[in-house]
Amino acid sequence: MSIVEVQELRKQYDPPKGVLAVDGVSFYIDKGEIFSLLGPNGAGKSTTISMLSCLLHPSSGDAFVDGHSVVTDSQAVKEAIGVVPQDIALYPDMSARENLLFWGKMYGLAGAELHTRVDEVLELITLVDRQKDRVEKFSGGMKRRVNIGVALLHKPRVLYLDEPTVGIDPQSRRAILDGILALRDQGMTILYTTHYMAEAQELSDRIGIVDHGKMIAVGTNEELVKSVGEEAHVELSVDHYLEGMVERWAAVQGVTTATVDDDHAVLLVQDANEVLPRLFEAAAASGSRITEITVTEPNLEMVFLHLTGRALRE
Amino acid sequence: MKRIRTLVAKDFLETRRDRLALLFTVVMPLAFTAFFGLMFGGGSDRLPLAIFSADSGAPATQLVAALTGSGVVKTEMMTKDDAEKAVDDNKVAAALEIPAGFSAALAAGRPAELTLVSIAGSTGAQTVLTEVTALAGELAAGERAAQAAVAVAAAPPGSSSTASPQALKDAALLMARPLAAQALADPVATVKVIEAGTAAGQIPNGFVLSSPGMLVNFILFSLLTAGIALIQERHNFTLLRLMTTRLRRWELIAGKAAGMFALTFAQQIILIGAGQLLFGVDYLRDPAALLLMMVALSLFASTLGLLLASVLTSEQAMVATTVIVSMSVSALSGAWFPLEITGPAFQFVGHLLPTSWILDGLRGIVVRGFDVADVLPAFGVALAWSMALFALAVWRFRLSD
Amino acid sequence: MRNVPALAMMLLAPLALAALLGFAFGGGQSFSISATKVAVANADTGAAGAAEDAGAVVAGVLKSPDLADILAVSEKPSAAAARASVDDGKAATAVIIPAEFSAAIFGTTASAPKAAVEVYENPTQEIGGAITESIVGQALLGFNGARAAAIAANGLATANGDGERAGKLAQQAAETYLREGGAAAGVSVAQRAPRLPGGESTKDVGVTGTILAGMMIFFMFFGANNVARTIIDEDRAGTLPRLFTTPTPRQTILGGKFSSVFVTVTVQAVILLVAGRFIFSIDWGRLDAVAALTLVAAAVASGLALLLISLVRTPAQAGAIGAGVYLVLALLGGNFTGTAAAGGTYAGIQKLTPNGWLLQGWDAVMRGGGIADIVPNLLVPLLFAIVLFAVAVLRFRKRYA
Repeated sequence: MSIVEVQELRKQYDPPKGVLAVDGVSFYIDKGEIFSLLGPNGAGKSTTISMLSCLLHPSSGDAFVDGHSVVTDSQAVKEAIGVVPQDIALYPDMSARENLLFWGKMYGLAGAELHTRVDEVLELITLVDRQKDRVEKFSGGMKRRVNIGVALLHKPRVLYLDEPTVGIDPQSRRAILDGILALRDQGMTILYTTHYMAEAQELSDRIGIVDHGKMIAVGTNEELVKSVGEEAHVELSVDHYLEGMVERWAAVQGVTTATVDDDHAVLLVQDANEVLPRLFEAAAASGSRITEITVTEPNLEMVFLHLTGRALRE
Repeated sequence: MKRIRTLVAKDFLETRRDRLALLFTVVMPLAFTAFFGLMFGGGSDRLPLAIFSADSGAPATQLVAALTGSGVVKTEMMTKDDAEKAVDDNKVAAALEIPAGFSAALAAGRPAELTLVSIAGSTGAQTVLTEVTALAGELAAGERAAQAAVAVAAAPPGSSSTASPQALKDAALLMARPLAAQALADPVATVKVIEAGTAAGQIPNGFVLSSPGMLVNFILFSLLTAGIALIQERHNFTLLRLMTTRLRRWELIAGKAAGMFALTFAQQIILIGAGQLLFGVDYLRDPAALLLMMVALSLFASTLGLLLASVLTSEQAMVATTVIVSMSVSALSGAWFPLEITGPAFQFVGHLLPTSWILDGLRGIVVRGFDVADVLPAFGVALAWSMALFALAVWRFRLSD
Repeated sequence: MRNVPALAMMLLAPLALAALLGFAFGGGQSFSISATKVAVANADTGAAGAAEDAGAVVAGVLKSPDLADILAVSEKPSAAAARASVDDGKAATAVIIPAEFSAAIFGTTASAPKAAVEVYENPTQEIGGAITESIVGQALLGFNGARAAAIAANGLATANGDGERAGKLAQQAAETYLREGGAAAGVSVAQRAPRLPGGESTKDVGVTGTILAGMMIFFMFFGANNVARTIIDEDRAGTLPRLFTTPTPRQTILGGKFSSVFVTVTVQAVILLVAGRFIFSIDWGRLDAVAALTLVAAAVASGLALLLISLVRTPAQAGAIGAGVYLVLALLGGNFTGTAAAGGTYAGIQKLTPNGWLLQGWDAVMRGGGIADIVPNLLVPLLFAIVLFAVAVLRFRKRYA
């Protein structure tokens, strides 16, 4: 049974002529899954999350979180979800602890239960020794951790994270990603939006690719890659006589196509690991030496490019 | 309700933390009030009046003496040029010119003329004018009374006196003048001034009348910090985030309004307390009426602040708008100068605003002994305004830019 | 400057507020006052054998068409009703003529009872009160004068041995006094503007000119603040520290910022001066004096803004603290209330602020003065500006060392 079900969500700002930010998006998330919405800036990811957070009213369609409609039953939805917004939404002149206490009260926690929970969250985000410091003094990564901590206070069943790693250092990003995986292992369902392909690949059980307000593909990483039939790219340069080499390589088993592009060859192969040694043999047999080789495994960037004709990253 | 309280508590915490905002909302108005109170609390000063006289007759001398003894003006004899310059340089409130022939005209029963040299529009000069007119009038009256007496009773009956008529007249005048002056000094008809609501003879000092105006001015001005805080919350997305919690939209708006209400109310307590305890402004003369007025003022200020913060997008716009609005409203409500000196159209517009009613109410409490019934209309006006502003604010309230 | 709030503050606000306040005072050249509402209750029962009902005479004076611009009289049947008018806010003052008034006035013996005409005032309406007191006093002076004439005549007759006719002569003297003009013919006081030694009379300054000068200086403070704030904005955005990594020396960079503040407010002032000239027909005065005052005002505004910016950390603080400081300076310096009465404590307070000095300078220049007349009004603010700049530079040096 899916804990999140999105049915033909649409959002048009300022109808009738306004921007159609989300155009009939549907997907589901199973309990305990990490589901990523992957797409470039302006694809409609934040708008979708806003609707699922009951911040925006859908123009049409509906979504159900833990059985409650975002349109008619928003209070129940808000109790089930924790939202980590894209921007740091904290009070800078209050300490980490004060922020957590305040937000906890807004989530309906009180008294000893609130304090215990705040302690737990501080441990989770590893900021116990900095809890009395004002948030304005924190580094970007620390602020993001508090930002996430706030959403966990009331033990939500579903956690939304809207591009939580934008603009922070690699260590903090690593820490956040590990934290998310840990949460999933504890049974949390997570909806994650990003425009970083690598994150989507690493974290997600399933991925939904969005572009211009539409969901253009959904599935696991493997399914998506396979569905567009992408193959690995191999680019090679040799020390001399490229033209002839290319024909030789085209004939190697496992190579689908081979073309010349400027001063290097571009090959599409089915399994790079298997084909690579044969390419080297072919070159050696012709007396050429491969001077440069680049292998790009099929990935979501290629999927996106294939589906839309544009790059994921502008 | 609990969440509203949490919101208000958080707002207070942040205000306390922001030391400069604290300075602004509490220390500055207090210091200013203290400063003004010290300056004006001691009762009014005598206005400096320069006198230059080209007349050495007795009436002229008497006039100068009367002015010197006055409690309204402080006289100083000067040359004409010095006096004119002193007025021009604003060193004296006005200069009085006693022309040659003044005494003669009075003695002959002809109208006499004085000239007051002053800067147009100066309120000090107006006060001096009133005093000079009064004293000169008394002087003239005495002289004319003596003249009239002499006209009918100078000559003894059956005059067989050897003295000339003129000599008789002069002698009679010498006797008549002091008699007339004495009669005028102890007149039979006097003016008894009673200030409504005060004990007889008690006149409110300048600070007492200006204190409520300053209170209103500063409360309106402090909307600045509260409004900026709200705008900043919109900018740092906490306002939006609050909507993902259990907090409902109406609770959020009410919480913000409540915070502004509490802040302005606390400010009022401090300023009114200072006025009452340190400078003798008797606000507590009717505590119930005072409470109504304080609530009215905070209601108006907080709903106005909420509306401005809902509509404006940047903190610069908030500063600009608050300054202009608070100044205009203060001026129109009679906080800077009494509305009685303005034209009827201005007074009409002024009385559309709740702050002018509140000011009348506060001044009435302090000086005229108003009670709850007297200030109820003011409360009603403020309440009506506040409800309208609140409705507008709710309609326009944005969670994000 | 594409910044709408900033432009509104710098240009629209002072013009709009000057227009508003000019409208307050009748929009013309002088402060005009609406008529004071007076409730009159005449309880006088008249005196046997007296020619006139003295109370009616006094009431008649108040109702005279000559005073229609100054007093709006309504007659009440009783003293209580008249006082109630004041208490209810329907009248500013009440004049209550007691029952024994005529008896006292026409009493022929020296021990006749005194009569006091009560002026019951709303203490928050000082001007109306003063006007009423003055007019009633004048009216009573007529009676007191007549009585003085009678007493003097009585004394003369007695001294002349004419005791039998004393009473008759006294009455004749009183009638003579009243016949020859009553209270009206006596001393008149004309008003004029000061004449300076060169023979030129100083001009009358329009109300709008005074107010616009005050508003101009006040909003120049804000104008300077807006530009100076960009220092903080750039600091936070990182562009300022980046500038400091270039070979251009710090002093040059900061000096450039300082200059842009000064130039901006000077331009702002020029625009306002021109607008004042063409929209409100204000004659600012001699060009060299106007230029000097403008430049010194720009220096003060710049120095003040730069000092403030050097003390705060965030743009929000710059806006809010600046607004507070400027408001206090303006209230103390008289930017909102025009020229104060000389010698009063308020004039003294004005001199504590640079803008107070500048305003007094503007007042002199608008009345025709030249640079020689305003030397202290230029030097003192200039001194303020230099000190402010110096401290600002020191603080900036410390911050960006």
